[in-house]
Amino acid sequence: MRILLAEDDTNISFITQICLEKIGGHQVVLCQDGQSALDQALREKFDLILLDGMMPKKSGVEVAQALFAAGIVNTPIIFLSAKSDQKDIAQFLSLGQGYIPKPFDPQTICDQIHAILQGPGAMAA
Amino acid sequence: MRSIRFRLQVLAFLAVTVTIYFAYETYRGQKESRKIQAELAKIPGVKAVVQEALIGNANLTTYRKLQNLRREFIKDKRRVDGLGWVVQAYAAHEPVKLQLQAQAFLSSETQYQSQLQTKLENRLAETQRSAFIAFFTSLLGILSIVAFVDRKIMGPLEGISRRMMDFLVDRYSFNFSHPEASEIGDLQRTFNSLAQRVINTMDELKNLDQAKSEFLNIASHELRTPLTSIKGSLSLLGSGVMGSMDANSTRLIKIAESETDRLIRLINDLLDLAKIEAGKLPLECEWVSWDDVLRKTTESLMGLAHRASGTIDFTLEPGIEVYMDRDRIQQVLTNLISNAIKFSPLGGVVRIQTGRTRSGEIIVRVIDQGPGIDPEDQQLIFQKFRQATSVANPLVKGTGLGLTIVKALVEEHGGRIGVESEPGQGSTFWFTLPKWREMVDETKPRYARAA
Repeated sequence: MRILLAEDDTNISFITQICLEKIGGHQVVLCQDGQSALDQALREKFDLILLDGMMPKKSGVEVAQALFAAGIVNTPIIFLSAKSDQKDIAQFLSLGQGYIPKPFDPQTICDQIHAILQGPGAMAA
Repeated sequence: MRSIRFRLQVLAFLAVTVTIYFAYETYRGQKESRKIQAELAKIPGVKAVVQEALIGNANLTTYRKLQNLRREFIKDKRRVDGLGWVVQAYAAHEPVKLQLQAQAFLSSETQYQSQLQTKLENRLAETQRSAFIAFFTSLLGILSIVAFVDRKIMGPLEGISRRMMDFLVDRYSFNFSHPEASEIGDLQRTFNSLAQRVINTMDELKNLDQAKSEFLNIASHELRTPLTSIKGSLSLLGSGVMGSMDANSTRLIKIAESETDRLIRLINDLLDLAKIEAGKLPLECEWVSWDDVLRKTTESLMGLAHRASGTIDFTLEPGIEVYMDRDRIQQVLTNLISNAIKFSPLGGVVRIQTGRTRSGEIIVRVIDQGPGIDPEDQQLIFQKFRQATSVANPLVKGTGLGLTIVKALVEEHGGRIGVESEPGQGSTFWFTLPKWREMVDETKPRYARAA
């Protein structure tokens, strides 16, 4: 899969990229903030977009809303977030395909993504 | 001065004064009328005596009667004089003169009689008027006081009482817009400022509450972000994806990884507890099949039990639905059962029983064959960061918050939780859930209660 990963924390993005590429065998395009992720997603087509909840310039939620507004509705979106507030989680689930809470286990992140994409709306364990 | 008390006093004073004045007038008029009546009643007697003097021969008895009459009339100069002439003529035995004087006296008496009659009638009419005014003023006084009390006191009091009721049910329509300068107005003003204070305090509390949850959210986010990197790095290194390491390095990585996991659990538990204590963990309750919850939870823990070379044995209570937040009760069960496994000896059996208490609640007992808990520790273990020290089977390192959260969750469901244990005899942790019913789904066959 071609995956767009938007994550401002370089440590986390580095680790996540290794997981996705080495374990999952996916192709990853990395963005450091919400605005560049949005530009990237508007420029090319991806099979999956992974969005961090809190990013500079545009938050994950704002990016997802902008993508919907731009008519990109077929690309699944999964949120990665350390936020645990019920309201935030409900918003992630309403905008995206699913939500993976941080800290996540890098060895199982590919399985979690797979599970979310299999069952629409199913929340990662 | 617009005080209600003053106005009420003025009103009452006016009513009472006017009433008393006219009541007194009535009394005086009656007394006077009676006097006039008495005077009137005497006149025929006087006339009779003079008639007697006119007709009869002169004698001492009649003379004395006339003298007595004179003495009685002492106050009325005109009548005394008139009678004096009669007496003089009578004493002098002068019939012609007596005739003249007696006639004059009698006609003046008749005139006096009619004067008195008129006076009596006027007096009676006046008395009647006074009585009527006294009655009318007292009635008017009572009515106006009642109306005044109703309009100026009872009405506003009811208004205040209504507003207070509103406050009780959290509707804050507190403001009395233009309190007047009276005692009731003072009460309204006091109420306004008290209400304002309550509202300010509520706002402050709300802000404080918001600040607290914001702090919790930010703190958890800031703690989890570095932990994500640490956990990710360790996990990737440990998995061998990045190349192999020697045995000691692998072990060190595993230690760091498991301690990171424990730290993550601790943060999650702390946040859970903070949310429960702040009332920010809303339960999402629904009717759930009870043995489904028990079976699924138990099955998910079989792996842990097998790794500890133990087994889980459970009895079910089919056909029961319990009103609960499924995830939270599963969390409670998982915590209690994994605790029981953790403290069981090798090959030990953890038994899970469910049934009903005498007071009609659903109860679960998680029974282990572990070392047991000292009586003095049995209450302490539900407090924060209190763990039994001798962990026989360190498969899962606890955070010291598990039982505190479990207790809070059970109590949030309206249930009770407790432990029965004797050192060396194992422990039984139990909790109850009050809201349950027979399963409404009739399509499923009913089983007898499983032993």
